[in-house]
Amino acid sequence: MCVDDELLNTYLDGELQEPWRTQVQEHLSYCNACRQRLEQLRSLHEKIADAVLPDAEIKARQDRVLQYFEKTRFDSSSKKFHIFRKRVQVRLVPALITSAAAFVVIFIGAFVFFGNNSQQGQEILPGVASPIDSAHIRQVTEIQQPSLDDFSLDQIIQHLDAMGYAVKLELKAVTPLQ
Amino acid sequence: MEIQSNDERAFRQVYEQVFPVLMRVVYHVTNNQDLAEEICQEAFIRFFDKAMEFPSLDDAKYWLIRVSKNLAINQVKRKSREMNMVDKLKKYPTNGANHTDGSSVLMEKETKKLVQDAIDQLPEKFRLVIVMKEYTDMDYKQIAQVLHISESNVKVRVYRARKMLESILSQE
Repeated sequence: MCVDDELLNTYLDGELQEPWRTQVQEHLSYCNACRQRLEQLRSLHEKIADAVLPDAEIKARQDRVLQYFEKTRFDSSSKKFHIFRKRVQVRLVPALITSAAAFVVIFIGAFVFFGNNSQQGQEILPGVASPIDSAHIRQVTEIQQPSLDDFSLDQIIQHLDAMGYAVKLELKAVTPLQ
Repeated sequence: MEIQSNDERAFRQVYEQVFPVLMRVVYHVTNNQDLAEEICQEAFIRFFDKAMEFPSLDDAKYWLIRVSKNLAINQVKRKSREMNMVDKLKKYPTNGANHTDGSSVLMEKETKKLVQDAIDQLPEKFRLVIVMKEYTDMDYKQIAQVLHISESNVKVRVYRARKMLESILSQE
């Protein structure tokens, strides 16, 4: 039995699976009619395929359409990028100016401050020291060196007792309570 | 490799590889180069603007073919015939002058025209399948994927389309 056109077309397209492919090949090896029919189909296939739109015709259109995308789509994305870049610049420049200004202020400030201490300190200090009230100094020394009058008798006895002294109290004179 | 359709680099890659395939499919379906260009452009605009993600370049290609095939079928009935007439009148005399051997070129052009006119006469479902089979490197399985039909259906349509073309071309 000969191979039908559907099978031959599938064979021609290289899409016929085994074991049918081998069977068709075997059949073609001895059947002239089927071989001729296959050649007719091959020739038809080539005739159709030859009518393909050539690359040269496509190229110009491909370039033209791509230009459309470069103008309308890719341009807009690069514009976005530019806007983004400008935003970055707007954000960065004041920050740089601020930090640079801060550095200058700190640098000059530090220079002036340390310069005053080292070079002009001796001239300035007497002027600063003169208004200080001597009463403050006395008050501090009084706090640092308390007298016995600041403590009660009980506190003194407890303190001496804690230090290991034996304390003997004598009353030399008593003023009677009125 | 994933394809993000609105990423310029990915788009260019897809465009470079798929545009010729798309142009061939749409041209042979519509028989009109200007219309085919418009449709291809529209398909790529949709591809870019929809900002889709495709698992592979082939998936992007199938999507583009599917969209442009639908656009072609919708447009072909409305626009193709009148534009085709203008196109032929405009282009036919100038193209022949570029070649030295005028007669063989004319014969070749005539054969091409006969074939394209024959394809034009095929019912839509056969035309789509035979165009994809003859003018792209897609196999039955891939064509089936694009058209959402079975592989055996593709096989039958290819066979029937060739049979019809053979019959049309033998009459001329």
